[in-house]
Amino acid sequence: MKTAIDTTPAPARRDPQSAEAVVVVRGLSKVFKDFWGRSKARAVDGVDFEVRKGEVFGLLGPNGSGKSTTVKMLLGLLHPTRGHIEVFGKSPRHVATKSRIGYLPEESYLYRYLNSHETLDFFGNLFHLPPGDRRQRTEQLLDMVGLTQTRTRAVGEFSKGMQRRIGLAQALINDPDLVILDEPTAGLDPIGCREVKDLILALARRGKTVILSSHLLSDVEDVCDRVVIYYGGRIQAMGTLKELLSNRDAVRITTPPLSKEKMQQVLELIRADVAEDRIKIDNPTQNLESYFLDVVARARSADAQTSGAQSGGQVAAYLRGSESDAPAATARILDRLTLPAAREPDPVPVAAAEPAVDRSRLESLAKPAEPAAAPVAPASTPERPTAVDLSEANTKLSSLLNKPKE
Amino acid sequence: MASRNPILRLLIGIAVIPALLRWLLGQRIWAVAALTWRAAFRFRLFWVLTILLLGSVVVLPLLIRDDGTARGFIQIMLTYTLSVITALLGFSTLWLACGTLARDIEDSSMQMVVVKPIGRWQIWLGKFIGIMMLNAVLLALSGLSVYALLQWRAKQLDPRERVILRNEIFVARAALKEPLPDIEGTVNIALQKVMRETPLTPQQQEETRRLLRADISSRHQDVPPNHLRRWTIELGLLRHTLRDTPMFLRVKFHTAQTNNAGTYLGLWNIGPPDSPQVRSVPQSLAADTFHEIEIPPNLFDASGKLTIDFENRNNSALSFPLDEGLEVLYREGGFGLNFIRGLGIVYCWLALLTALGLASASLLSFPVAAFCSISLLLVCLSGGTLSTVVSEGTVTGLDHETGAGGGTVVDLVLLPFFKALLGLVKLVQEVSPIESLSTGRSITWSQLGGAFAKIVLLLGGIISLVGILFFTRRELATTQSQS
Repeated sequence: MKTAIDTTPAPARRDPQSAEAVVVVRGLSKVFKDFWGRSKARAVDGVDFEVRKGEVFGLLGPNGSGKSTTVKMLLGLLHPTRGHIEVFGKSPRHVATKSRIGYLPEESYLYRYLNSHETLDFFGNLFHLPPGDRRQRTEQLLDMVGLTQTRTRAVGEFSKGMQRRIGLAQALINDPDLVILDEPTAGLDPIGCREVKDLILALARRGKTVILSSHLLSDVEDVCDRVVIYYGGRIQAMGTLKELLSNRDAVRITTPPLSKEKMQQVLELIRADVAEDRIKIDNPTQNLESYFLDVVARARSADAQTSGAQSGGQVAAYLRGSESDAPAATARILDRLTLPAAREPDPVPVAAAEPAVDRSRLESLAKPAEPAAAPVAPASTPERPTAVDLSEANTKLSSLLNKPKE
Repeated sequence: MASRNPILRLLIGIAVIPALLRWLLGQRIWAVAALTWRAAFRFRLFWVLTILLLGSVVVLPLLIRDDGTARGFIQIMLTYTLSVITALLGFSTLWLACGTLARDIEDSSMQMVVVKPIGRWQIWLGKFIGIMMLNAVLLALSGLSVYALLQWRAKQLDPRERVILRNEIFVARAALKEPLPDIEGTVNIALQKVMRETPLTPQQQEETRRLLRADISSRHQDVPPNHLRRWTIELGLLRHTLRDTPMFLRVKFHTAQTNNAGTYLGLWNIGPPDSPQVRSVPQSLAADTFHEIEIPPNLFDASGKLTIDFENRNNSALSFPLDEGLEVLYREGGFGLNFIRGLGIVYCWLALLTALGLASASLLSFPVAAFCSISLLLVCLSGGTLSTVVSEGTVTGLDHETGAGGGTVVDLVLLPFFKALLGLVKLVQEVSPIESLSTGRSITWSQLGGAFAKIVLLLGGIISLVGILFFTRRELATTQSQS
């Protein structure tokens, strides 16, 4: 196990302990019965957890471990055999509470004969949105999920990825406070996956609570603050990713290529304290997702044509907050800045030109007794945004999404 | 001016209906209703049904065998086309109602709707209204085509036949009857008289009561050979409105002995007895069917009493049933409005079937729901079998020679069920719009209101409540909840 110098821009996350509980689950069990009332399967067995406001909470587990059953009980689609669920302090079947929830199921359960525009309009009606809002949000969401070109095609004719995108759009039409996403990236291409993850992060930055159920570890790792791991209907592990994943017994230092002499010097220093067989040296590799995104971004800039779903546009304006709202405007700027940053190869090498940051990081890492004492500013974290920064970020975003925004 | 153009006004009226409904129902129920409506178009159900309905209206008259008279042809055409429209719409309504809810549950699209802030009762009601909107349009289209076809056919007839049609079919006529005699009261008095003379066991009492009832009824109904039967009809205040207006005598009789000719001679004397006004109408009529005899105007007396005498000039007795043996029909209104009211009652039936289909789909899967509700409809349509079963007291049938049969376990279970069904069928079919329309009988607003109250509000309401209850309590994600 290695401890990397984390340079991925950490979202401005909340303090989960002090926030109000959005979802409370106590002693939840679900036993499926046959026609004669005989127990057929125990899908969920004595599960307890709480999801607090502003968290991205992951339900992780293999297929058939009870994640979707839990999600469906949270939504009132299944009734618990035992136990207690509260969503925003109310029963999951309380109708008015549902106006604060957005849900993306694990498969497309949309009406196949409606086109994407009609689908969003229908669900907008169920949320009692006035016609103007409905129209505006429909347009923005279609743009966000990249389905503006296919708005008049029936959803039933869509590819799985496109159905996922329209499913995601309908889950957000009410600007929900709690978003429940069941396998949100299933069937999506890597670009779509990245966009969904960025969206989740953007929602979290706006103080929305997100519950994410997935068996894809990278999904959960990239976006979740806290996870529960299911197996056989029971929770096997629960905690923040940091608690679950950090290995305090090892340190990893990433630098630009060094001269052989410099390297020898560094190794000498280390060998003085650590045995030779416990030191490991290699080149950091970027993960396949980052590499793939890089390749596609380059191809896009060469203006390649595609007949499928377009890459999504910006996060819909109403999901980012209103224009006149100053704090929301800041969040929007942050979104713009962080979206392209998240596409950078990862981990980003520590910049040699900023030794001050390096030193402080090294100092903090050299003291294993107080590892998380001082919040360390990542080397690549942007400074407070200026007008120049913003335009650069926008250009970057546009080139990534192939949507020039002059 | 454009607003005076009737077609434009009609179009504006049609456009206003959805807006009005939307306002009345609220955005959510309307959205579900509109979705149901849209599905019927996208799955081409609407067009298939329209073609079937219009096709049957056009094709059926070509296949009809009638009695050769224009009146007979129009009557049969009206009966057949309206029956086929009702049956087609009835079955398609059940199918659609079962399908729209059960399919949504089975393909999980319902999950996406119930997680939104809409009550399940609102979803149920939205589906109901969506189907009823579709039925309204289909019924209006087919009704309009039947009406247009009737008018077109009538126009091709010679004027004399057209007058007959206008008087007897294209009209809304109300009926006057003699008040029904208190047969049960008379039977009780007679039974008590018998029991004063001879003490009877309870079984003997029942038998005696049955015999007395048959005897007293036949005394009111039967006209022996060469006897005269008099009916007195009180017009009451109608005497003012019916002055100078012809009326119609509608009669039907049975006979125990048939003759070779198949018709039975009788002399009808209509008018105040022993006055020169009396009109004698000799008629040779067939038994077991309805006949209409025109009554010239102003044959009732000053107090509004109309007297009708019938002399039986045959060798066998004729029996005029108490309920429908003799009625005096008079013009109450036009055919157009009556036709609309008749379709209104058919619409009430369709509402009941919609509720039944949705209720069964709330509980069962699509094929099972469709099978159960269509079977129930078929059982109810065979009202004759139902009433035989109930009157004989057995499902398996009586041995008519020995009178034995019944009392099995099957009877114990099914008889109460059949009795309840028969009661419901009678309630639903209390007013028979097709028969009334084809005989030029008036369907009053109060009859339509009564049908709406009993069929839609009472029966439909109970079925809907049960359906909504099942739907509200149902777990909608059991099919793919194992992951």
